[in-house]
Amino acid sequence: MTTHEHAHPTGYRQYFTTWLWLLGMTLLALAIGYIEGIPGTIKTLLLVGVTLAKIFLIGSIFMHLKSERVNLIMLTFSPLVLAIILFTFTSGETRNNDSTHQVENISPKCKDAQRTCRSVEVKAEGHSEEHK
Amino acid sequence: MESTSLAEQERILASDWGGGKSPFGTSWSKFMMWIFIISDALTFAGFLIAYGFMRKIAPAWPNQMHDVFSPLLITFMTFVLISSSAVMAMAVSAARAHDPKAAVKYIAATIFGGAIFLGCQVFEWYHFISEGATLTKNPWGVPQFSAAFFVITGFHGFHVFSGLTILAIVALRATFGKYSADSVENAGLYWHFVDVVWVFVFAFFYLM
Repeated sequence: MTTHEHAHPTGYRQYFTTWLWLLGMTLLALAIGYIEGIPGTIKTLLLVGVTLAKIFLIGSIFMHLKSERVNLIMLTFSPLVLAIILFTFTSGETRNNDSTHQVENISPKCKDAQRTCRSVEVKAEGHSEEHK
Repeated sequence: MESTSLAEQERILASDWGGGKSPFGTSWSKFMMWIFIISDALTFAGFLIAYGFMRKIAPAWPNQMHDVFSPLLITFMTFVLISSSAVMAMAVSAARAHDPKAAVKYIAATIFGGAIFLGCQVFEWYHFISEGATLTKNPWGVPQFSAAFFVITGFHGFHVFSGLTILAIVALRATFGKYSADSVENAGLYWHFVDVVWVFVFAFFYLM
């Protein structure tokens, strides 16, 4: 048996259980996203938590990472670490918004999509022309 | 003197630095697939972070889940992709158990699921474009919104299409006797990655 010929002990039953968990968490994420009134930060944290739990299940069970060496498991975390670094740097930029790129925020949710958001666009275009 | 030298050589050869050992404990092809997945994950991370950045600095943003997309369709698409991923895991197990017939059967089911997902995506794109959305403008007045939608879901859809092509090639090769459990596992890893990306897109693009 060569080093890469792992015996994958994961059985069909465990795949089925994982599938059920993933479906349950998908419905939970949908409920979190769909229900209005949850504060933005709490909603974001809940969605990140549910998403990471789903990724953990897919990675460990479906991709068999739980039976791989720690070296490989650690390697798979590298995109997450780099994404956190990228997010941290870019989110700092959004806190200090340059007023020249700002336009009047008429309707953040754009409820009346055909009218209010178009007016935002028109204002934005007019604003950019002023700076030319 | 010579015996000491031989013992020393054997000790070095038995250590992790003596060669013949893989630090990651995988085959070459599987390790390369992991490297590809990691680099591709960085691409999608860049897309999603850029999306978050655009959304935060935009003066307005449509309420996607209530006003633009159908939650039912997106949830169905997620259900289909998760199910196909579970079936693909069964295909890999069958391949490892030297049962190519079962492996091909499960791969075919995975391809079916992926095709349904792609069909739903075409349907969603068709409706979005029918409403007047393009890469540079849309009826909701936030150009970045449709640009992000087309780029992120388009790039993911292209990955699904590539995955279906890879799975079809693996299944055909297995049918004609050119069967390799490693190739099924590598194709499976790619397919699960496509699922992982969708889980992020579902949460961060559609639900947030």
